[in-house]
Amino acid sequence: MAENPAIKKGTVTPISSLFPAEEAHKASKRVQDTIAERQEQLDQLKGFMNENTNLINLVHKLPDELHHDIMVPFGKAAFFPGRLIHTNEFMVLLGVDHYVERTSKQTIDILKRRGKGLENQLESLKAVMQDLKAEASFFDAKASEAVDGLVEIREDYVEESPSEVLPLTNNTKDAIEDEEYTHILSRIAELEQQEEEAEKANEFNKDEQIENDLGCSTSQSFTGQEVRSSKVEAANLQSLSKDGSSRGKGPALNDSSLNNKALELAEVKEKVQAPVLATADHKVSRPSSIPGSDSSKAFTGSIVEHAHDIGINSTEQQTGARSSKPVSRFKMQRK
Amino acid sequence: MGSTAALKELQRDLENKANDLSKLQKDIAKNHQVRKKYTIQLGENELVLKELDLLNEDANVYKLIGPVLVKQDLAEANANVRKRIEYISAELKRLDATLQDLEEKQNSKKEAIFKVQQRIQSLQAGKGKA
Repeated sequence: MAENPAIKKGTVTPISSLFPAEEAHKASKRVQDTIAERQEQLDQLKGFMNENTNLINLVHKLPDELHHDIMVPFGKAAFFPGRLIHTNEFMVLLGVDHYVERTSKQTIDILKRRGKGLENQLESLKAVMQDLKAEASFFDAKASEAVDGLVEIREDYVEESPSEVLPLTNNTKDAIEDEEYTHILSRIAELEQQEEEAEKANEFNKDEQIENDLGCSTSQSFTGQEVRSSKVEAANLQSLSKDGSSRGKGPALNDSSLNNKALELAEVKEKVQAPVLATADHKVSRPSSIPGSDSSKAFTGSIVEHAHDIGINSTEQQTGARSSKPVSRFKMQRK
Repeated sequence: MGSTAALKELQRDLENKANDLSKLQKDIAKNHQVRKKYTIQLGENELVLKELDLLNEDANVYKLIGPVLVKQDLAEANANVRKRIEYISAELKRLDATLQDLEEKQNSKKEAIFKVQQRIQSLQAGKGKA
């Protein structure tokens, strides 16, 4: 299988070398401890807020009566019955040994302001907790990955121009590629209109099509071109390792087998490529446009491609299709 | 013999430096704690100032001196709290400077220790070869 010489080998680094399992575990534990601390603080703050609310309720209710009968604590272990008078006068501690006389309403105001301060603290603590939790989960994930022996693969992104990449089978056709390119574009425009009704079925490597089209350089009708493309496509199927080679036939294919192949190829490509892109389609995979082909095919989808991608993707995907499945898939995904 | 004596000396030197470093680190930790306390107090005082500002002119303010609540003038209370705040801020700044100083000393100590370690290593390597 032909490898594009411009593609460099990537680097493979086991995750365990980046984040040793042991250390990841330790880091995770440390973060967990910090989380526990923060949780305690959080609980304390919540307790304060509860106390504050209770106090507000009490202060609110006290002035309802002129005086209350209560049991007054006396020392450590005794009470005596007494009376609570001046029910509207409160001595409020402002902090730092300063007290101020306030009425019930004013006291409630002070308490509410304190409550707001507490709430702010609570919010900031919660935010900190979130961050810590995210960190902990990150470390846990890394630890488990390192244990599993996962590997990080990096590859350079090589910007390839279409002219550089030579497709495996259609070397001779590259020369006329550009000429045909504009030629194809106009056809694609026509096809696009027809395509709009058809459902999108699979992702398809249209570039293969283009390659093949260019290869068979004859001025043909719209449908004729499709037939040609399908035939060439069939030829390509033969070359594809994954395809059932039993299906690969010569150009003299009947429509049904053509359609089958189109279906197969489409399926293969689907596995290989990213989700469908709505693009111009001049592919064979539209069985309906093939002369003599009936529309009762299982494969009803039209392979659509981006018109502007033709030049760029054609050769690369061509190559990708030629190479072994895993590599092509990777390259496809890279694009 | 000369080399072993030099080696011993170097190791003693290393120990001393390590002790100094640990002392420095303890000082830095203490500094952090005191700073935290002061920061909390500063926050509290600022809250009090805010509340005092919201009071009416004729509100009764009392100050707790020991077991006694003493009536105070609002203006006086304000002035007191403000002075307190200034004092705490000044303390914090002083602590910051000390902290910087301590950290610098710690860094230089670390470097010195490293150098001594390197010398010990080279000496030992030399002795091993000989």
